Amino acid sequence: MKKIIALLLLSILVFSSCEKVVTVPLETAAPRLVIDASIACVKGVPVSTQTIKLSTTAPYYASEVPAVSGANVSISMANGTVFEFAEVNQTGVYQCTNFEAEVNAIYTLLVNYNGQTYTATESLQAVPVIDKIEQEEQPKIGGGGFTIDIKTFFTDPADSNDFYLVRVNTNRTAIPEYSVTDDAFFQGNQVFDFYRNEDLVPGDVVTIRLGRISQRYHNYMKIITSFSGNNGGGPFSSPPATVRGNIVNTTNPDLFVLGYFSLSEVVSQTYTLE
Amino acid sequence: MNWKLLYLFVLSFVTTANFAQEKRILSGTITDAKSNETLIGVSIYDEESKKGASTNEYGFYSLTLSAGTHTLRFSSMGYQNEILTINLQQDKKNNVALVPSQEQLQEVVVTDSRKASNIRKAEMSVNKLSMSTIKSMPVVLGEVDVLKSILLLPGVTNAGEGSSGFNVRGGGADQNLILLDEATLYNSSHVFGFFSVFNPDAIKDLKLYKGGIPARFGGRAASVLDIYQKDGNSKKFHLNGGIGLITSRILAEGPIVKDKGSFLIGGRGSYAHLFMKLSKDQKDNAAYFYDLNTKLHYQLDSINHVYVSGYFGRDVFRIKNLFENQYGNATFNLRWNHLFSNKLFSNFSAIYSEYYYGLNLDFIGFQWDSGIKNYNFKYDFKHYLSDAIKLSYGANVIYYDFNPGTLRPNGAETGINFRQLEKKKALEPAAYLEVEQQLGSKLTVNYGLRYSAFYRLGAANIRTYANNQAVVYNAELAIYEKAIPTGSIYYARNQTIAQYANWEPRAALAFQLNDDASIKVSYNRMAQYLQLISNTSSPTPLDIWMPSDSFVQPQLADQWAVGYFRNLRNNRYSLEVESYFKVVKNRIDYIDGANLIANDAIEQVILNGKMRSYGLELMLRKNEGRLTGWISYTLSRSEQQTPGRTAVEPGINQGNWYASVYDKTHNLAVTSSYKFNEKWNFSANFALQSGQPVTYSNGQYQYQDITVPIFGLRNQNRLPLYHHLDLSASLIPASNKGRSWQTEWVFSIYNVYNRFNAASMSFRQNLQTGVNESIQTSIFGMVPGVSYNLKF
Repeated sequence: MKKIIALLLLSILVFSSCEKVVTVPLETAAPRLVIDASIACVKGVPVSTQTIKLSTTAPYYASEVPAVSGANVSISMANGTVFEFAEVNQTGVYQCTNFEAEVNAIYTLLVNYNGQTYTATESLQAVPVIDKIEQEEQPKIGGGGFTIDIKTFFTDPADSNDFYLVRVNTNRTAIPEYSVTDDAFFQGNQVFDFYRNEDLVPGDVVTIRLGRISQRYHNYMKIITSFSGNNGGGPFSSPPATVRGNIVNTTNPDLFVLGYFSLSEVVSQTYTLE
Repeated sequence: MNWKLLYLFVLSFVTTANFAQEKRILSGTITDAKSNETLIGVSIYDEESKKGASTNEYGFYSLTLSAGTHTLRFSSMGYQNEILTINLQQDKKNNVALVPSQEQLQEVVVTDSRKASNIRKAEMSVNKLSMSTIKSMPVVLGEVDVLKSILLLPGVTNAGEGSSGFNVRGGGADQNLILLDEATLYNSSHVFGFFSVFNPDAIKDLKLYKGGIPARFGGRAASVLDIYQKDGNSKKFHLNGGIGLITSRILAEGPIVKDKGSFLIGGRGSYAHLFMKLSKDQKDNAAYFYDLNTKLHYQLDSINHVYVSGYFGRDVFRIKNLFENQYGNATFNLRWNHLFSNKLFSNFSAIYSEYYYGLNLDFIGFQWDSGIKNYNFKYDFKHYLSDAIKLSYGANVIYYDFNPGTLRPNGAETGINFRQLEKKKALEPAAYLEVEQQLGSKLTVNYGLRYSAFYRLGAANIRTYANNQAVVYNAELAIYEKAIPTGSIYYARNQTIAQYANWEPRAALAFQLNDDASIKVSYNRMAQYLQLISNTSSPTPLDIWMPSDSFVQPQLADQWAVGYFRNLRNNRYSLEVESYFKVVKNRIDYIDGANLIANDAIEQVILNGKMRSYGLELMLRKNEGRLTGWISYTLSRSEQQTPGRTAVEPGINQGNWYASVYDKTHNLAVTSSYKFNEKWNFSANFALQSGQPVTYSNGQYQYQDITVPIFGLRNQNRLPLYHHLDLSASLIPASNKGRSWQTEWVFSIYNVYNRFNAASMSFRQNLQTGVNESIQTSIFGMVPGVSYNLKF
């Protein structure tokens, strides 16, 4: 009896959840046009090169998506200035080398492809500067040592309802990580964005990009980050759905496109962990 | 509301008294001979007149019989039958004490037929589980769990392992009324559903109403889980306890005044987190829960009893410098039983119930508190009118005080501002009348009417919107968006902002085909005035309850059920077959990307939908012998629909019906208990269910250097089949014989073949490689457990 008890007590109970990568038979929806038109203008840099990518949807497990060539892409301003985006070597990447960033100006995207016209409107809003980046050592959540948290401080303007998008790139991650926030709880105060990646060690480099975005784009990215990215899914997530952006097909509204046309002023800072 | 007229109307159905034979009333209280604990649902049967009755929640019964000699049989699960011959010449008070059939910890040999289906009563869709049955079932980590046992009944399922709450006949987890000694509990689990809040040692009786819900219950659309705590042994002091791998518990009960007053106090706590203190980096972390159950009973005289009960429970999770999360229920109630006559039993209850949720996010710098408080006063009567009619009537009123959230900044570096989400108050009065009537020798009916009302009260600032639409549809972009309020109206304290009232008819009918079989039919309408705001697959403690108001209407459920009940081989086996159909109006659904946390204006992210469910339930039980148990199988469908408000709008999921997240087409549960000999008892459970509905991705696109999956219609796919086998063995050592304290060892293995059942499927990119992956999450593999129980 005593032996059995001792053995049982020694057995380690692992009841934390476990994740397994599986392959399931998935259907593929008919290809749909995707317009990736997110213009990020660095604060203090009035003229810059901007890129818009056109592609279509692809099967989920595919490693690449088909590029869309031969479209006409341009962005115009209310004052009549038009920025043409020229395709680079049939790659589906459209570039403009002289894009002018004007805070509070309204920009309109116009894309012509395959007899359809797509359009969207957004405005550029100023972003606060990054005050400082700090790091803090904390115990890992599951145990087994310590990890380093990165805090990026900035001051929210008190006179407006502001929405932010933060992008983090590190030398340990293959893709950027996005998160959105709005100032409902910290209006007018200095706050920090919190980033934790338990793989980071001293010497690693992270690049934090803070951008000011519109409310609608905030809602769009919020849905996207809820099921993509590293914290997506799980039993506490909301039901996933194909999220609609702000680009409208004026020729045939039923043939909608995916993707978003957004403008944001950004500030970027690179930080090396100590 | 002309109550007099209603009462007279019902009275006119009373069969005319038979003046030829004089009627006498036999009444009294039935108790456990060893502890004086009143017994609920004891069956009293008179051989001569073939009339029967059962004791109510306080052990009281009243039977109208003709003058003369009667042979009465008193029977109840786990007790020896008592046969009494009485010569009834005048009204008689007869209290009966039943002797438990086994004096050991494990009550496995059932000698009477109380477990067999109740053929006569017009009560259907009800499952009563004895604590001894529940205690013998193998569960995760060796912890006896009331809620996990309910999942083995037909028509009951849950969203998956590790999800709190349970779903009855395709209803949401928020649609169950969970009562502990008549007090409402808002969260029935600890640790996100791993353990229930019920200390099994403190529970006396448990009943789950899945349909045919009597008129005395109201406020939730799908079911009622009615749980009564023990009163405490008023004869002798007893100590009961157990030590397990995860939790330990201790319960003390005894007399305050012998045979007149008793007390019960029990506690249960987990301590797995103490092992964390051994590790340097985990030492300031904590994850534990505890419960405290208390009860006091005093018999003032032969017609007055007073009860005081309390419950307090908390869950605490702490990760130092990151966050601390505390949540739990607390209830306190005072009850007074009064016998107006040997035909009229009454109970008055004053109940306070509270649910608290607190989150301290140290790393951001704020403290979040939210909760619900409610005060409930109810007066219930049971009127044993004649030998053919029993009436139940009463009234109650509940006052709610909701705190949707207080956000307090703390810490020097915090950027958070103080914010108090507007508190909400409401009043829910109700009155009911229920008639249980015997019509002829074969037909028993139970019909009733409940009238409930709801008042959403100020003080509050209520937002106004153009066209009263808080959600607008942007046709150009084809998305639903929050509407901008046009202003707000101020309502003064206790001024009515919105009000609702509903008649809730209830009816059940039992037609006896012969002594062993009957057909039953029932209908009930339920109104639910509180909604749980949650858009996740399973409820989280962060979910907020909110009262109906000018934007959110009460849920209205209509359920029809029909069933065939049969006892076989002299009550050795019973077969229950039931089929149900349920529709619910005003089920809330959420627009894409709805932010529900700390949202003061929920009306801007919700749409009104409906839900329906239907199914077939089969249960075959073996009631007697060394091997007992049951097989239950449910074939069902539960779905929701939220169509667009106009022809232009798509609604949610294109306005199509979609499967609820807890829809399980097939649900098979087998439970068995085998008494091997005096020392050993073995139990096994097997569960097999269709996989949970899930939405698979049907493509992807690249946006801003990340993969974004796209999806088709909601919940069209299923996770893999869910099944597990659990075994347990309990050992009663021989050294128990003859000594005053009894011990028992329980060994259990949950999920013996270590199947990692899928709990969810996510589609996301691998952060290190960028490859698109589909990830299946599981909660439990094989989990062994052991516990040591002590009874003094």
